Amino acid sequence: MEVETKVSHSVQWSHRRAQFFKQLKKQRVLHLFVGLGMIFLLIFSYTPMFGILMAFKEYSISSGIKGIFTSEWVGLKHFNEFVSDYRFGEIVRNTLVLSFLKVLFTFPAPILLAILLNEARNLRFKKIVQTVSYLPHFISWVVVAGIAFSFLSADIGMINKALMSLGLIDKPMDILTNADHFWGLAVGSAVWKEVGWWTIIFLAAIAGIDPTLYEAAQIDGAGRLARIRHITFQGMKGTIVVVLILTIGSILGGGLVGSNFEQAFLFGNSINNSTSEIVQTYAFKVGLRDGRFSYAAAIDLIQSIIAVILIFSSNFIAKRASGSSLF
Amino acid sequence: MGQKQKDKIMDSFITVILFLIFIVMFYPFYYVLILSFNKGTDSLTGAIYFWPRSFTFENYERFLSDPHWYKAFLVTIMRTLSGTVLGVLLTSIVAYGLSHQQLLFRKTYFTIIIFAMYFSGGLIPYYVVLRSIGLLNTFGVYIIPSMLSTFFLLIAISFFRDIPGELKESAHMDGASELVIFYKVILPVSMPLIATMSLFTGVGQWNSWLDSAYFVQSDNLRTLAFRMMEVINKSNIPMDSLAIANSSSAGATSYSLQLAAMVISVAPIVCVYPFLQKYFVQGVMLGSVKG
Repeated sequence: MEVETKVSHSVQWSHRRAQFFKQLKKQRVLHLFVGLGMIFLLIFSYTPMFGILMAFKEYSISSGIKGIFTSEWVGLKHFNEFVSDYRFGEIVRNTLVLSFLKVLFTFPAPILLAILLNEARNLRFKKIVQTVSYLPHFISWVVVAGIAFSFLSADIGMINKALMSLGLIDKPMDILTNADHFWGLAVGSAVWKEVGWWTIIFLAAIAGIDPTLYEAAQIDGAGRLARIRHITFQGMKGTIVVVLILTIGSILGGGLVGSNFEQAFLFGNSINNSTSEIVQTYAFKVGLRDGRFSYAAAIDLIQSIIAVILIFSSNFIAKRASGSSLF
Repeated sequence: MGQKQKDKIMDSFITVILFLIFIVMFYPFYYVLILSFNKGTDSLTGAIYFWPRSFTFENYERFLSDPHWYKAFLVTIMRTLSGTVLGVLLTSIVAYGLSHQQLLFRKTYFTIIIFAMYFSGGLIPYYVVLRSIGLLNTFGVYIIPSMLSTFFLLIAISFFRDIPGELKESAHMDGASELVIFYKVILPVSMPLIATMSLFTGVGQWNSWLDSAYFVQSDNLRTLAFRMMEVINKSNIPMDSLAIANSSSAGATSYSLQLAAMVISVAPIVCVYPFLQKYFVQGVMLGSVKG
């Protein structure tokens, strides 16, 4: 009796196994396709993840990938070194201030622009403004920096020249090379570049609002501002929450508009360095320029850990507060 | 009547604000354009607002004859074309495999992809990997590491999944192989997806300069955006900027050459813009819905 069940069990199992291999064989080309992608992820995503180990080691670049595993452990040495670096406080402050200021301005700007565009009566005019507003999203930050230079440079910038010739200022403003102006410059250029792009999402949310709501509100005597507040804004709320979660999760990179690194790199110079140096540019300089790989990896890791904590906590808070979350 | 009056005031208020926004968005592009057609040495005196004062093609001629610039231009064109074609091909073929619901290990594959989307090793370990597989300082570093886009992978999977199964089954009946099905059946009906992916990948490749700064030392492999970055970095230091701007031969200055480079860098984007516009709204929506 017992032997019989065992036999039938193993027969069933070998049958299932045969079925499995038959299916696998049938799908072999598909697995080949997918496997190709997995190889790319293995090399360019997963191997670097193991590379984080070097932050706890004395890694030398000449030892290649193998060196990540064979080099000597030094524990938290590089982390301690960064924390006691004389520039540590300044760099962390710059990273946080830049990130928060950018989110503070680039998050509400597209919401306001979407509401404004929605209120425009002339549809053609609306379309033109909208089309022009998202063009900057597609150009490189390098070009944005070049445009900023041609307008704001103290020597040849158009604004300085114009104000000087009008006699409104008697010496050129050094916006590009003054530590006091760097944050304003970064925030302003980020709003200019990305406001139109993120407006698309909010306009799509507005497009989903039932138009009869507006008619009903009008009959009830609601004024324009009241309609904006109670219908347009209410209709955007879900989208606003989702975008806010994404924004806070990515705050250390500069929020959804991102590009903290590119801005700090392009607008930063030896003169405004005290406000423009951020964790990422510092890690880049000590790592790739000075060749201190383990130290730079440790700096990078600190930033990534804070970023991951931010992603999960913002998602958690959003889930608690509004019931909508991303994962 | 009071309400109507108020509405009218508000309408004109909104129009004025939107018009100002339009100027702020549009004028910088226009200004760079007219300046790039103005004689470089003349531009330095300022007071050019609406049209070139001393019209010339010199900046563009110099751009195309300066090996520094035109080589970077060629490298950028090459990386954009090959990076886009190879990237879209790889991403869509992997997505096609993953779009089969009965695929074995499907869940495992997905876990691997999602995890790679959220976590990364950071720049330094990435650099070490590129170095040890010999990609540093090669043209391949612009194309190969970014070939598979996890973001477009997820979008493409959901697109392929929605293609009716009968299409594939009838091809299977005819004994076609998966590669032939992908090429002859799937790709032709996926043009909106392929167009969206190509346009976004292409724009990204065209604008890219970080990889040139991080992973390349060779002068022959610099991209257009990288060259522009170099000029900006140099001219951000006061005193130097005038000297650099004045380092001219004949009428063109390095500043006016830079302006021509900026126009050349923006022009293709403006050209594909109408097509981008047709596809990107759905692109943004897809991206935001799928997260």
